[in-house]
Amino acid sequence: MDYRWPDEYLAFRDEVESFIHEWRTPELLAEQRELEGAPGPLSRKYYEALQKKGWMRMCWAKEMGGDGRDPLYQFILVETMEYWRMPYGNLTFTSVAPSIAQYGTEGQKAAYLPGIWNGELTFAIGYSEPNAGTDLASLRTKGEKVDGGWKVNGQKIWTSLAAHSTHIWLATRTDPDAKKHQGISVLIVKTDSPGVTIRPLQTVSGLKTYETFYDDVFVPDEDVLPPLHGGWSIIMHALNHERVGLSPTSNLARNYDVLVEYLQKNAPHKLADPVVRNRLAELRVELQRHRALAIRNAVTIARGAIKPGEASMAKISGSELRYRITTLAMDIAGRAGGLARDDARSIEGGLIQNNYLASPILRFGGGTNEVQRSIIATRHLGMTR
Amino acid sequence: MNPDLSETQSLLQTTMRQYLETEIPFDRVREHEEKRVADAELWKAMAGQGWLGIPLPETVGGGGAGLVEAGIFVHELARRAVVVPGAEVMTAAVMLARHADGDESEILAALVDGNAIVVPAHLEAADDLEKVDAAVDAEGRLAGAKHYVDYADFATHHLVTARGTEGLGLYLVERSAPGVSTEALRSTGRTPQAIVTYRDVPARRVAGEAAVGQLIDLARTFASTQILACMEVSLEQTVAYTNVRVQFGQPLAAFQAVQHHAANMCMHVESSRFLVYELLDALEDGRASSDDAALVKASLSRAVPEVTMLGHQLHGGQGLIEENDLYFFTIRGKDRALAWGSAEECLAILARDVETPPRWL
Repeated sequence: MDYRWPDEYLAFRDEVESFIHEWRTPELLAEQRELEGAPGPLSRKYYEALQKKGWMRMCWAKEMGGDGRDPLYQFILVETMEYWRMPYGNLTFTSVAPSIAQYGTEGQKAAYLPGIWNGELTFAIGYSEPNAGTDLASLRTKGEKVDGGWKVNGQKIWTSLAAHSTHIWLATRTDPDAKKHQGISVLIVKTDSPGVTIRPLQTVSGLKTYETFYDDVFVPDEDVLPPLHGGWSIIMHALNHERVGLSPTSNLARNYDVLVEYLQKNAPHKLADPVVRNRLAELRVELQRHRALAIRNAVTIARGAIKPGEASMAKISGSELRYRITTLAMDIAGRAGGLARDDARSIEGGLIQNNYLASPILRFGGGTNEVQRSIIATRHLGMTR
Repeated sequence: MNPDLSETQSLLQTTMRQYLETEIPFDRVREHEEKRVADAELWKAMAGQGWLGIPLPETVGGGGAGLVEAGIFVHELARRAVVVPGAEVMTAAVMLARHADGDESEILAALVDGNAIVVPAHLEAADDLEKVDAAVDAEGRLAGAKHYVDYADFATHHLVTARGTEGLGLYLVERSAPGVSTEALRSTGRTPQAIVTYRDVPARRVAGEAAVGQLIDLARTFASTQILACMEVSLEQTVAYTNVRVQFGQPLAAFQAVQHHAANMCMHVESSRFLVYELLDALEDGRASSDDAALVKASLSRAVPEVTMLGHQLHGGQGLIEENDLYFFTIRGKDRALAWGSAEECLAILARDVETPPRWL
């Protein structure tokens, strides 16, 4: 037992922080907002610099082209980047690339990995369907075998970044006769393939997501991840890679810090109010409770152990605290706390208000918190199913 | 960053747990609780096991271990709800061993053997941990009253916070000295507690003002450790009960609403475990501040009613009957939530500095 972060981890945190301060310009942030995290000209340069640092793959095994570092470095990278709201690799880096590296053919690795590293290729994730959300295995987008490949028909929803991506990582039912979890394959589909239609959906937090439609889309055999019909385990594997930093504390703490700074500068009388100070003290307690669950989960994953209950606890705790911390911060700030990010008078670009509106997605996304609670009960506590 | 017990620490945990579960049936706990007297026999047995000196130097016969190990000791005793001053004596022992001005080897050796039992006596009628009126005069005579003193009568000595000619400090007082009288209290936790009055009692100064803050931090941390144990067992008993209790043709545990209550209990337990042991580990080498100890106490004091009351909700009437063991952890947990600073008192401490950015790594 030793709860200290060893010096080399703290040195890494400092290195990431100085890198952030070098690159975090208003222009880059504006571009990121506009493109919802997809690479534009500035972020390509930024990603190039990030790639040179070697952080995107530092925790991968050496034989997969990584640096074999302890995944706690990834945790520190995520926490530090998240505090400053800096992009550090979307699902293309955290899910698609590791899956290609682990499951892909030599041809697929050669075709996609270099392009991902230099930012030319970006993937949108095509998992959810109108009738397959948390119950993902009931997906119905189907692939029919045709000469040299597959003919795909169906519909996906929440295909975030689709309009800015070169490819879609598409979960497809390739064997309609197999059981629910079997008979699914992962197909790599070019977004400009004939038959792919992308329709934007506006979300309440200001972010766009997309619906994607597939009408007789041809996907060549070489773009099907092996094993054929064995896609479910790839999907699960991909989700696992997100989990070391799945629910950061830092971006929650940032709301707190932004609020306190605002009060110090603009409403010192509120900060002097003992009732307000007590509320802030409560938030400090809640942040530490969440930090405990987030680190506990990261340490387990870093050791290569699998405890789904711990990941579920971190996910629930972070997503529900996001709502509580932002609603309380808005209440304390008052009317100014309600100004949206497209109002120049908003607090820190409307960060708190935006996080408030964005909080629902984290509660229901990635497996609803209700499902997570059942996972804790059955798999962590051993309650009867 | 390693939040798990070492092999030696796990061994201590397992050994104590097995010993207490085998040797101390809950009915024995009920007996002592009813009479509100400490389990002297268990105390003697623990001295025999060498557990009373866990964090004390080997030179006095102690185990030479740290606060994490002392925490495991407190944790395991609280898991069995036994009526002994584990947390109190550990607090006093660590203060005497690490923060005393002079050499306290003699009394420490007696503590290890179980011949001396020292408990802190700090809080006064004002119920304010920062307000001390008890006074020691130039002749070294103590006058004053201490309230809510845990195990005051089982102790051989009290470690009393008082104001002397050299300022605030900690004083050692013999329980049997003439002029010491006690008045028993009936607390929620059903463990022995008393108001102690000191009239012209000889008192020996053992530590100065800085030690008073350290005493509170340490006692507060051990109280948090006790709360953790109460939540843990309440959850374990609830899971076990809902797995076997059948209604509407299926175990309660199979109902999602029941599972979700249990998951909420579990999140409190798991975050609390991390926070308590992180604090013990940090106190060991002086990394923890008083704010850290207050934060953890606020967190656990808020969590324990949530957890134990959900435990009752899922047990139904069965959990309210005193023949069931659940209630031990409900009452002890709430009692410790009030001890050494309630959630409200600890939040007030945190509220003094809300400007420092919270930790996130």
